[in-house]
Amino acid sequence: MEKENIIDVDHLSIQFNLGNVKVNNLKEYTIRRLKHELTFQEFLALKDVDLHVKKGESWGLIGTNGSGKSTLLKTITGIMKPYKGTVKVRGKIAPMIELGAGFDQELTARENIFLNGAVLGHSKKFMEEHFDEIVEFAELQRFLNSPIKNYSSGMKARLGFAVATMVDPDILICDEVLAVGDEAFRKRCEERMQHMLSGGTTLLYVSHDIESVKQLCDHVLWLDHGEVLMSGDPDTVCDAYARRLDKVYSFRRKLEEDREQLERGDHVDYLVVGAGLFGSVFAHEAKKAGKKVAVIEKRDHIGGNIYTEKVNGIHVHKYGAHIFHTSDRKVWNYVNRYAEFNQYINAPVARYRDELYNLPFNMNTFSRMWGVVTPEEARSKIQEQISQLSITEPKNLEEQALSLVGRDVYEKLVKDYTEKQWGRDCKDLPAFIIRRLPMRFTYDNNYFNDRYQGIPIGGYTQIVEKLLAGVPTLLGTSWQEYAKAHPDSYDKLIFTGPIDEYFDYALGKLQYRTVRFETEVLETDNYQGNAVVNYTGHEVPWTRIIEHKWFEFGKDASGRDIPGTVISKEFSTEWKSGMEPYYPVNDEENGALYEKYRQLAEKEERVIFGGRLGTYKYYNMDQVVAQALELCEKELGHRVSVSSRHVNL
Amino acid sequence: MSTLKFRIRMFIKYKDLLAELIKRDIKLKYRRSFLGYVWSVLNPLLIMIVMTVVFSAMFKKNIENYPIYLLTGRTLFEFMKNGTQKGMKSVTQNALLMKKTYIPKYIFTVSTVTSVFIDTVFSLAAFFIVMIATRSPFYVELFYLPVILVQLYLFTLGLSFFLAELHVFFRDIEYIYHAVCTAWMYLSALFYPVESLPHLLQVLVKTVNPMYYYIAQFRDIALYGRMPGMRIVVGGWIWGIALMAFGLFMFQKNKDKFVLYL
Repeated sequence: MEKENIIDVDHLSIQFNLGNVKVNNLKEYTIRRLKHELTFQEFLALKDVDLHVKKGESWGLIGTNGSGKSTLLKTITGIMKPYKGTVKVRGKIAPMIELGAGFDQELTARENIFLNGAVLGHSKKFMEEHFDEIVEFAELQRFLNSPIKNYSSGMKARLGFAVATMVDPDILICDEVLAVGDEAFRKRCEERMQHMLSGGTTLLYVSHDIESVKQLCDHVLWLDHGEVLMSGDPDTVCDAYARRLDKVYSFRRKLEEDREQLERGDHVDYLVVGAGLFGSVFAHEAKKAGKKVAVIEKRDHIGGNIYTEKVNGIHVHKYGAHIFHTSDRKVWNYVNRYAEFNQYINAPVARYRDELYNLPFNMNTFSRMWGVVTPEEARSKIQEQISQLSITEPKNLEEQALSLVGRDVYEKLVKDYTEKQWGRDCKDLPAFIIRRLPMRFTYDNNYFNDRYQGIPIGGYTQIVEKLLAGVPTLLGTSWQEYAKAHPDSYDKLIFTGPIDEYFDYALGKLQYRTVRFETEVLETDNYQGNAVVNYTGHEVPWTRIIEHKWFEFGKDASGRDIPGTVISKEFSTEWKSGMEPYYPVNDEENGALYEKYRQLAEKEERVIFGGRLGTYKYYNMDQVVAQALELCEKELGHRVSVSSRHVNL
Repeated sequence: MSTLKFRIRMFIKYKDLLAELIKRDIKLKYRRSFLGYVWSVLNPLLIMIVMTVVFSAMFKKNIENYPIYLLTGRTLFEFMKNGTQKGMKSVTQNALLMKKTYIPKYIFTVSTVTSVFIDTVFSLAAFFIVMIATRSPFYVELFYLPVILVQLYLFTLGLSFFLAELHVFFRDIEYIYHAVCTAWMYLSALFYPVESLPHLLQVLVKTVNPMYYYIAQFRDIALYGRMPGMRIVVGGWIWGIALMAFGLFMFQKNKDKFVLYL
């Protein structure tokens, strides 16, 4: 006979908002609110979990700490509400409450039995009827009238178990409560549970003690990071779980040992400074080539400036918009090994007061600005504006720009934006900053001209995580400190930090242009309708606003719309030492200084400088990867094979 | 209306728990201290004596029966203060239980405030002892007292709901609220005649201080032997019902989020 299901859990997801720091007081809340630091990291404690329990079955839930076992029980009990999916329970549930939780230490055992019974939802009459039975099972007849604070923990355990089980619930929930108490008591509890099971009670049992799970349960569900990994026969599932635990532990132990060695300053073949894209690619390839390699990183996270952080389900580009684009097939294939890229095309929009224009300057822009229709009309309009000004020798940026695009485009889309970027009037900026302002006479909003373009689904951090898997990495460790503590701990150093910093600024400091972000979490679902909007007018102080969700089309991994949004306002600020360096300044002064550092660097035989800061040059991500792969070839002597066979597995 | 039905069913199921919790609070309060119940009466008496010694000379002209004047105000204010301060913590304190089993969360707030209320009713003995000791007349209007207590109970419970909900999210509300209570006490004319306040403040206290409505009603029936005026009676009901509605609304709105913050 087919028994009916007593518990039906369908596609259950539970979401927690883990604050970046747990804020539970008003003072901190206000401060963070004012500083726009109030972000929450979404965290799915359960993902799409299914569980169907028939009457009389006993299910064991296993998994490591934080795998979602207790959360699942809480949702079945009704303490937590499903975020998605449904939970249906047909029957009376008795949760076994942790020792002491349901008891008041000052009350006597007699009073506590009634209190605990009431907590479980039983009426006073019902408890009176079962009172003697409970006392008998707990073997506490002699101590009924003394406060339970005087009880031993074993006595309390007996009392708790007695109250919970004496009432023949339809479903008994038991979350790691039998760990206390002596062997005899545990035996009795297990007997009692067996007895209840044979009487038709359904059991949900959570324990780290695999043996007791095997003994008590006829089904087992294995949860891992909120997902069901396996469910079914206890022996099969428990053994698989035990094997997995072994594997995880040995991998962790190995990495832990490596890290300890790194902390001790043991010798490595390659020491990489900086866990950005350049350093990670090199470290990955060096490890694959069988070299001993380690990474130290000043920040407390890996990834350098491509680091993305998940906030409310949205991957936030912490250090500004990063859009991967390349024409290099080899580089494209390489990065596709570590992430799946979506079909994002960068088509930024410029906002000047209440007018919106497509970027880069193309027929959409011109037709919105002047109502022109054909490319011919647009060309002649621009030409007309340029010739009116008759600038032959541009003396400053303003004249340079005017002579390239004419008055209208300059005033609405170039002037204020450039001034905000540099913090100076365009008339006071040198002409060479803008060599050309690309214009297209097609209706094409794609910002980049590259063959391949996209955003890794799930953010950039995962790429670096995969690259650095198995490579010992020390976060929050500055090069100077490490070098001082462990001189000579490497054969070769791959230095991706600022080159002037390596030489202790002996020749002076290189300058950077820097940007600052103010990130805000908003409740609205759509703030600006595009990932990148440039603000080209002076009426707002920021240069752009990035709305991160649109890099992934506002969808989460399973294709559902993400509620709410996160935006980052980008401000240009004057560079001061100590700030995050972003863009090297391409002027003569800094170029000459870098050249001097480069000559110094050449004399350092055991050091290779690489990446944007190490070579003082702005690179796109694809160029960084290409550069790193080139170095691998030269240094490790092996070609990184990237055939398209590896792609799209 | 199935949610309403569900709520009523849940309330019936857990009414015994409510009773057990109230019983526990009262029992423990009296069991823990040496003097037990006597203390609940002695405490207001002692404070009344101290304050009478200090202040009665000061306000002799305006207040004829200073001990009763003081006790009427203090009894009500102490109930509101203790009730809300304990009610505020009622949810957070029972976090462990709420994380383990499903219990309607308001049960804890209701039981806490109710046990303070019952204790207050017991301690009214102090009031009657002083009435007898000072040979004050027992006006028939005193039978109106339960109505005032019901009004104030509603007000206190409503405010407790709101504070309990807030305390889950912001634990430091506790300290802020303690400061608010102190200020509130000084603005409630407990031990001085309200007429001695500057005019503007006096108007303010008489209109926007809810405690004034309850204390004034109590003094009318106990000290002056007259039924309280329409304004303060209606005002007392409005404050009580309004706070109850507001507190319940806020509590119900956020109760499902509690477990994530406990």
